[in-house]
Amino acid sequence: MRTIEMLHRSGVGVAPARTIREAATIMEHAGVGALAVVDGDQLVGVVTDRDIVRRAVARGLHGDARIDAVMTSPVVTVAADDTLDAAYALFASHGLRRLAVTRDGSFVGMLTIDDLLVSLVEQLDALARPITAEILFAQRDPAVPITT
Amino acid sequence: MIHGHRVGEPNRDCEVLEVQGSDGGAPYLVRWGDSGHEALFFPGSDASLEHYEHEARGNHAHD
Repeated sequence: MRTIEMLHRSGVGVAPARTIREAATIMEHAGVGALAVVDGDQLVGVVTDRDIVRRAVARGLHGDARIDAVMTSPVVTVAADDTLDAAYALFASHGLRRLAVTRDGSFVGMLTIDDLLVSLVEQLDALARPITAEILFAQRDPAVPITT
Repeated sequence: MIHGHRVGEPNRDCEVLEVQGSDGGAPYLVRWGDSGHEALFFPGSDASLEHYEHEARGNHAHD
């Protein structure tokens, strides 16, 4: 499966000059925990709710400061047409919870560990279903008549 | 239009204000209908695009 097929939500972003307060408001209204920071159509960073807590609130940074002051850059990305194995490897090697998905260098969406976990649970459920049915509704072959 | 992700979650809509992609694609500068906030939007499989006709503004001369 390709990475792009696992993206279930639209991506949301902000321009680098927007403020921390505006970014937090967008996160709240869009229901996302991470925003792409995009200049034109170029991905220049990623900012998460955790970044705002740790790099802005905890350090007393004003809400009117630019969002690019607290973003993570450069960004670890995975290509939209890469396999999920590549995404798993990046999540594991970088200790990330979200991964920016790009196509030809442009941001297309945010892949989260939650997306992968939901998919894994669905796959495990599909695997377990016939086994569960077998346990609950065991079918036994009819006894073969013994002939002498 | 962004479709809800959970049972009971309403659909949300936003208006495209500006196309910022070099080839007419994403990112789109949008304004959310329910909050009025503006953000950059990269539509995924949960979003659909609807076109609306806008009447031309301005005075029309009538003979």
